[in-house]
Amino acid sequence: MEKTKSRIVGVRVNKDQEAMLSELQKRAKMTKSEILLQGLETLAEYYTLGPEQEPMETALRRMEKDALHHMMSLKKIRRKEEAIRDFVREIRAVDEIIDKHGCDKSMLIQIMLDVQKQNNWLSKPALLWISERLGVPMAQIMRIATFYTAFSLEPQGRHMVQVCTGTACHVRGAEELLTRMQGVIKVAPGETDDEQKFTLKTVNCLGCCAMGPVITVDGDYYSNPNVEQLKQMGEKYE
Amino acid sequence: MNKLTSVQDLNALRAKLVADRNAIKKSVSVCLGTGCRAYPSAAVADAFAEQVKKHGLEKDIVIRRTGCHGFCERGPMAMIFPEKICYFQIKVEDVPEIVERSLVNDEVVDRLLFEDEATGKRIAQQHEIPFYKLQNQIVLGNNILIDPKSIDDYIALGGYSALAKALSDMDPIGVLQEVKKADLRGRGGGGFPAGIKWETTRNAPGEPKYVIVNADEGDPGAYMDQAVLEGNPHSVLEGLILGAYAMGSTQGFVYVRQEYPQATQHIGIAIEEAKKYGLLGDKILGSDFNFEVMIHQGAGAFVSGESSALMTAIEGMVGEPRPKYVRTAVKGVYERPSNLNNVETWANVPLIINNGSDWFRSMGTDGSKGTKIFSLVGKVKYTGLVEVPMGLSLRQIIFDMGGGIRGGKKFKAVQTGGPSGGCIPEQYLDTPVDFDELSKMGSMMGSGGMIVMDENTCMVDVAKYFTSFLADESCGKCVPCREGLRQLKRILKKITDGNGEETDLQLIEELGGFMHDASLCALGQTATNPVMSTFKYFKDEYEAHVKDKKCPSCVCQALTTFYIDPEKCTACGMCFKQCPTDAILGDKKVVHIIEQEKCIKCGTCFNVCPTRFSAVVKIPGTTAPAPVPFGTKAKKSSKGDK
Repeated sequence: MEKTKSRIVGVRVNKDQEAMLSELQKRAKMTKSEILLQGLETLAEYYTLGPEQEPMETALRRMEKDALHHMMSLKKIRRKEEAIRDFVREIRAVDEIIDKHGCDKSMLIQIMLDVQKQNNWLSKPALLWISERLGVPMAQIMRIATFYTAFSLEPQGRHMVQVCTGTACHVRGAEELLTRMQGVIKVAPGETDDEQKFTLKTVNCLGCCAMGPVITVDGDYYSNPNVEQLKQMGEKYE
Repeated sequence: MNKLTSVQDLNALRAKLVADRNAIKKSVSVCLGTGCRAYPSAAVADAFAEQVKKHGLEKDIVIRRTGCHGFCERGPMAMIFPEKICYFQIKVEDVPEIVERSLVNDEVVDRLLFEDEATGKRIAQQHEIPFYKLQNQIVLGNNILIDPKSIDDYIALGGYSALAKALSDMDPIGVLQEVKKADLRGRGGGGFPAGIKWETTRNAPGEPKYVIVNADEGDPGAYMDQAVLEGNPHSVLEGLILGAYAMGSTQGFVYVRQEYPQATQHIGIAIEEAKKYGLLGDKILGSDFNFEVMIHQGAGAFVSGESSALMTAIEGMVGEPRPKYVRTAVKGVYERPSNLNNVETWANVPLIINNGSDWFRSMGTDGSKGTKIFSLVGKVKYTGLVEVPMGLSLRQIIFDMGGGIRGGKKFKAVQTGGPSGGCIPEQYLDTPVDFDELSKMGSMMGSGGMIVMDENTCMVDVAKYFTSFLADESCGKCVPCREGLRQLKRILKKITDGNGEETDLQLIEELGGFMHDASLCALGQTATNPVMSTFKYFKDEYEAHVKDKKCPSCVCQALTTFYIDPEKCTACGMCFKQCPTDAILGDKKVVHIIEQEKCIKCGTCFNVCPTRFSAVVKIPGTTAPAPVPFGTKAKKSSKGDK
């Protein structure tokens, strides 16, 4: 069979079609002849369906739409799978913590503290799983989670800013430091900013009473920083 | 690390460790307590290590990263051994000089020594510094000598010798009797005799018995338990083991608050190391005595430090107190006899066993023996931890050791005992400090917080602060505490907002008495102490707030007015530019005026007014002097200052 530039398996092709075929060839990893033959086959199949069938173009559109729909549901399934994988991973991490504490009911608060430390908050699946594993009712877990200040039932920022409002810090201007800090990171006490960067909290005593007023950012201590220092700090943390 | 199976093993190990220690020519103790971490003290310690390496002296000089030295005000600090020279406020840049002059050669870097402001003299030795002079650091003193992460350091200094003595020479009853004879009273606040509590637990029916270290130091303003647990964890652990031996307990707990991560870490390491040496576990030092210790972390609740609440928390439940018809010493954790003592109390036990009860009784007053660590903080010049024999007067502690009030202000009151304590005014400064005397004054020793307040502190505001604190921390289980505190807070807020009525003062008194009588636990019973003591000693301030609508200390914003002194204003424009509500009228070279009806009393103008002018002043009350007419020329032109 003679192969010219303008003829492939006997079909005449112009330059544009030729370019299109090359493009398809790259994507489909088939020879040009194979592509053309397959196209012809589809066309033949289409004409065997009888004269009442929808026009070729509409049929293709419908198929494309179906394919798209199919793809979207696949994507949804994949995301669902991803979410489930995340949950499983989280629960597996919670499992490790529970096992570390010997699956002991009396270690409930310690387990919750460790989970809080690891995830920065206590999610519902995590709490449900703790409840299931330890055989402790969810009500009791929620009672603990809401009683202690260390627990958070909402996601926290990446960095935790704690302003000490203990007595020694109070008489040496903790309120003003809190106002200054609020001004710099634009978060009210107990809240997290929109970018999830900082969470601001007040604490009763950090045990640095001689240096008051004191703040900590992720466990690093700072003694009475001024606005400039706070601004530098705000930029330092990502 | 080999397990020690007998007292002889321990002694042999100690002899070896002491020899090793003596072979070292010099050492540097750098304070890395939590307080000093607010300074770059970690960087200073690193710099020391680096410089010593540079001089090739790693084998001759040891850098010890220790716990709190006490004088937190002057951190970062270090002590050079064997000369015992103290350097304060060390910067990383100073380290090469210290190493060069003080470690390589035997000189003293004068400028980093403590300077006595009265005489202008530089003091090198710790015990000559006024802050340390009156101290007797039997508990805190070893902090400077040991690396808290190293059990060897503790053993070298005689650690676990009390345990060895108890196991080889004394029976459990003997240990108990010694502690009882020493009249060691609980350092956590209550001051209950530890020996009697131990005896109750020992004799109570039920097995197993539990012993607990209470390190849930919730009192805001007190941090001595943190300093001991973080700086010398083995001393607490040894005390606990001795207690367990005396009471026949096999399981101990250490309950630490989660706000103290370093203390938790250090006690954790201490327990692990003690296990490796066989000082915890089965057949301790070859005896028949078995003992295990577990750490429990608190999760941020003040009330969890109360004994019955703490024990409920150990069981994994919400840490709320329960009625104590039967004491926790008889029915505590899991309804078993449980003994709970404070960190400092436990740390005193090995000392008593080693030195005998007579030695312990030689310190202190008739009713209170031994020493007590106080956290001297607030508006005092030298802040930090001081360990003094009981019976020193407040004046000696605040003025002789603490150097008086900062900034030349006048002393107003000292708050002791945390939220359950009270405020003591100037006329009682000469009272000796012990458990009973402080209680007589309507305050209490508490865990040892001493917050000094100067003339710029409003006592009504302080009462409001503590009441709000307690209202937040009340568990809400009993009505008198839950509702009483809420109402008390409301009344105090009303007074500080300038809406107080005379009947409110009566109501405070009534409410206080009722809460004291009817609350379930000590938190509620003592919750009114801050209010009642300020009410007793500073009634004039309450009356000024209520009757004259004035805050004499200019703290309560609603009862304070801001005013610009036309004589002092130089029209610099600082306040004018920064006022958030545009309440200040001003122009170039024209005296600025505050429009009182627009002023929100945020204090911005007061803070930004340059101190060399100090033109913005706070005036007690709600009325300001009539402003000068707008357009009055300022005395000095602002040009010269730019």
